[in-house]
Amino acid sequence: MSDWVRIADASEIADDEPFASEWNGEAIALYRHEGEIFAIGDICTHEHVRLSDGWFEGDRIECPLHQSCFEIRTGKVIEGGPASEDVASYQVKVEDGAVFVKRGI
Amino acid sequence: MSDTTLRNATDRVWPEDGVTRVPAWIYSDPEIYAKELKVFHYGKTWNFVGLDCEVPEPNSFKRSWVGERPVIITRDAEGEIHVVENRCAHRGSLLCWKNRGQAKDITCPYHHWTYNLSGDLMGLPFLRGVQGKGGMPRDFDKSKNGLTKLRVAVRGGSIWATYSDEVAPLEEYLGPEILMRLDRLVSRRPLRLLGYSRQIVESNWKLYWENSRDPYHATLMHPFLSTFGILRTDGDYHSVPLQEGRHEYTYSQYDPELKNKTSEASKQIKSIHSDLEVKDKEVVSSVVDEFKDGMMGAFQVFPTILVQQYFNCLVVRHVIPKGVGAHELSWTYFGYADDDETINRLRLKQSNLVGPAGFVSLEDSEVLSLMQPVVESCPDSVQVLEMGGHGTEAQSTMMTETLIRAFYDFYRREMGL
Repeated sequence: MSDWVRIADASEIADDEPFASEWNGEAIALYRHEGEIFAIGDICTHEHVRLSDGWFEGDRIECPLHQSCFEIRTGKVIEGGPASEDVASYQVKVEDGAVFVKRGI
Repeated sequence: MSDTTLRNATDRVWPEDGVTRVPAWIYSDPEIYAKELKVFHYGKTWNFVGLDCEVPEPNSFKRSWVGERPVIITRDAEGEIHVVENRCAHRGSLLCWKNRGQAKDITCPYHHWTYNLSGDLMGLPFLRGVQGKGGMPRDFDKSKNGLTKLRVAVRGGSIWATYSDEVAPLEEYLGPEILMRLDRLVSRRPLRLLGYSRQIVESNWKLYWENSRDPYHATLMHPFLSTFGILRTDGDYHSVPLQEGRHEYTYSQYDPELKNKTSEASKQIKSIHSDLEVKDKEVVSSVVDEFKDGMMGAFQVFPTILVQQYFNCLVVRHVIPKGVGAHELSWTYFGYADDDETINRLRLKQSNLVGPAGFVSLEDSEVLSLMQPVVESCPDSVQVLEMGGHGTEAQSTMMTETLIRAFYDFYRREMGL
């Protein structure tokens, strides 16, 4: 994914409610936090489960299985849970109500 | 039903003749067995659990047992060794089903609670429920729901665990004589795991415990030993109880000429079959005196292991109780990381001497499993232990039951019998 990819409509993404999406087999979750939209990989690096089914609080998502936490701004894992690797991070832009993402920050 | 089977263990009375008589009820009474586990395995003892070469690198694990309780030996990412109960803190299900392997964490197959390798609970599915419903109460504290951790001690390549906060440090528990013998085998060079044999013996664990304290039977019941001069009644032999019977060691100086000699003593032993042959003589004739001391021997560390050296075959026999009438014998064969091909081959070849079908060892488990129903059927009968006198002192002979008497001297004190 080296180019911008249209992945959702901005209106679909509610405040503090994870939005699960997918592009070409890649699970991506979108989060709206303090008015801004963020996108990170949606499969926990510990066990195969969608993080967007977990607990979204502040600027982190907590895995529903074993409470590994990831920063929604960067995809970085927060120490303390069983996961030790980060999930992917994406750049996000909104144009004419459409959300585009691109690998990297 | 006789009075004996109705009697409580606490009412049991040891025969008047002290340690020269052992009452048969100790091999079949479930209350005695339960007390043994509590006082010994879960009490103030150090239990052998494994060798460090079984968890060779960070993030590896090995299943073991302390008494009847399953445990897991782990080596965490930092290389530190832990021993935790193999029992999920949630509902008690068996966590780890694999004997050995690599893992970054341990997940219970039942509800997927996940622990790190030091036994702390890292996470559990649906802690916060689903769609706002269910889940754990807010005050559920993961830090208070980890696995039960045992106290661990490592000596050379050997790993030990205890439930007790009071037991002396391992070195003191073993004492200088056992430490010297243990270090000789496991502390001088890094270990290499050669393999395992495992067997269930249908007898009370103490029958095996006594068996390995009983040199008297060795040349009689095991014709292989006497025929090939591995152990002979007329050889140099020492039986030494330690710490008032808690541990013991035996040793002999290996004499390669002994098998060519006959003496009055060897002629007396009917089971020396001089016509017994072995096709591959290397198993008994090729020996490297790798410790440069010509010593062969074994030692017992209460309540879990017998460590034995037969020529270049090095093996730990781990005695794991499995109910009052059975135990598992887990044989771990080892060598050294820097062994060359010649000695490695010899170790493997000579391992044929021991194990469930070993040239020497196979008779033990057969005799003991036939002995168990007999002692069970006659709980008021007594065993006679007068070979070598009535005492519990060290003796320089095989023709003695001093080590068994010394064990029961210790056993009676610990058990209050």
